[in-house]
Amino acid sequence: MNTDIIEVNHLFKTYRDTRAVDDMSFRIEGPGCFAFLGPNGAGKTTTMKVLYGKAKPDRHDSTQLSVFGYDPRSSELNIKALAGVAPQDDNLDQELNVLQNLQIYSRFYGLGTSQAAARIDYLLEFMELAERRTARVRELSGGMKRRLIIARALLGNPRLLILDEPTTGLDPQVRQLIWDKLRSLIKTGVTILLTTHYMEEAYQIADTIVIMDKGKKVLEGAPRRLLRDNIEAYVLELNRPERKDELLGMLQSNGHPEIRVEDSGERVLYYAGNISHLEDLGSHLAPDEFLVRPSNLEDLFLRITGRRLNDAQ
Amino acid sequence: MPNNSTATTPASTPAAESQRNAALPGAALVGENFLAAPIDGASAHPRNFVGRVMSVWYRHVRVYSRTLISNALPPFLEPLIFLVGIGMGLGQFVGTMDGQPYIQYLAAGLLITAAMFTATFECSFGTYIRLEFDKVYDGMLGAPITANNLLLGEIVWAATKGFVFTLAVLIVAMTAGILSPGWILFAPVIGFFTGAMFATLGLLMNAFVKNINQFNFLFSGLISPMFFFAGVVFPIENLPRAAQPIAIILPLTHPVRLTRALAGAGWSPELWWSILYIAVVTAAMGTAALKLLNKKLVD
Repeated sequence: MNTDIIEVNHLFKTYRDTRAVDDMSFRIEGPGCFAFLGPNGAGKTTTMKVLYGKAKPDRHDSTQLSVFGYDPRSSELNIKALAGVAPQDDNLDQELNVLQNLQIYSRFYGLGTSQAAARIDYLLEFMELAERRTARVRELSGGMKRRLIIARALLGNPRLLILDEPTTGLDPQVRQLIWDKLRSLIKTGVTILLTTHYMEEAYQIADTIVIMDKGKKVLEGAPRRLLRDNIEAYVLELNRPERKDELLGMLQSNGHPEIRVEDSGERVLYYAGNISHLEDLGSHLAPDEFLVRPSNLEDLFLRITGRRLNDAQ
Repeated sequence: MPNNSTATTPASTPAAESQRNAALPGAALVGENFLAAPIDGASAHPRNFVGRVMSVWYRHVRVYSRTLISNALPPFLEPLIFLVGIGMGLGQFVGTMDGQPYIQYLAAGLLITAAMFTATFECSFGTYIRLEFDKVYDGMLGAPITANNLLLGEIVWAATKGFVFTLAVLIVAMTAGILSPGWILFAPVIGFFTGAMFATLGLLMNAFVKNINQFNFLFSGLISPMFFFAGVVFPIENLPRAAQPIAIILPLTHPVRLTRALAGAGWSPELWWSILYIAVVTAAMGTAALKLLNKKLVD
């Protein structure tokens, strides 16, 4: 018996000559939050689009796709009746107000007028947009538009919510608010699938993270576990790269084999499982020349791909 | 994937559907109100085909009627200007055309050109803007409708505009006493099918243009010439003999012929060809447009 909400095996997607998704496989048992983390161009959005039929995967004998037991290649409607989608672009109807934008979409889900009115009232309240219900879209802030797009995706009472970069470009307060809303949705049993290139977002709300790079899955797991298993617990950031040769000499003479060095040009990072090794190292530096902190997903991404998450192509 | 076989043959009845759901995690949520949301009818079922197409149509009606004043004035104003400027002005010199007062001849043609212009604009520039600039289709295709439903909704909407624009000209012409009530009251129906035919033409062009300015070729190259050479301002029989076959294959010629029949020329068996022409051309261009535009809507 297949109890997965989503199962993807050997997904390939090519746009002209670029392979956007290259043999991607993953499973979501749900409920919970599942995040695709990776830089722009990693294939996150394309993978999402395949799931709701907005992109057709390459023909490949080994490809198997299932969302709620339906294959998106043949049954996109059944999937979209169970899933809400909030695309990355702002594609609200600019001429209409908040309420009208939702009314239009309520028809796609087959809601009758009174049903739609009740549902919209509820969602506006939930997304904290009730006071702006008659505001035109062009009058809304970026955060409000994002919330409206999420409310729109919730009209059909979905069990799966697909969010493409839900907080990109938003200020930290709005981001927190959206995270809170998503957490309360997860508590009610909604499964959330989101893409992000903010490691903090993935860390904050995801139960499982898939790290993607160049169309491939590079790592998958619970965020804390991923860090524990794949990278040293602490890092020393050296802000003065011109001192790196001096430190390197020191490391070699003192014999600190447990310290791993990652040199990205402007910054040099020293990783170690034991914080005291890094503090030793720091004692040779002036206080403003370095920072010792716990390692994060960004460090993990750098370690695995040799690139930083946010310097997008 | 053990249930791959069920995935390719989705359950179609509600009972089968709920059985399926019962086997899925989170099944308890189906039919229940999440977060006590007041909802009862939304379900895991997409709407039926007609419902899906008409929900796209409804979207356009709502967006269009948002700016009703600026949208509803031109269809009344434009025929008025034409009838006064050309019909009365030029008509004084023309006298009769095809056995009727020139202004009456012109009015019957304008019933259909109004539908042609509005539908072609809607599905060329309008569709392009929705597709490429506003990206509204990207959002709509996240809802339970297919790309084909969406495109058919565009066609039905353009056809509706054809109906309304023809009706507007009819109201103006009858109020001015140029056309008198009778069979001509059915002209908006022809306007509807004219709208559908030119909608498919506009959509088909969308599959080929590289930028929005290329629609100018459609308007300068086909739509504007048709206004003059498809029997609207003078009968195609007055064209040079060699040019007449060309006029006969122009799409506008045929709904105009049907309208002239309603306007008093009367039924003749050769009008079956015009009906057939409209049906075949609409179906052929529509099928091609759906096939080609699917590639733009679905990556």
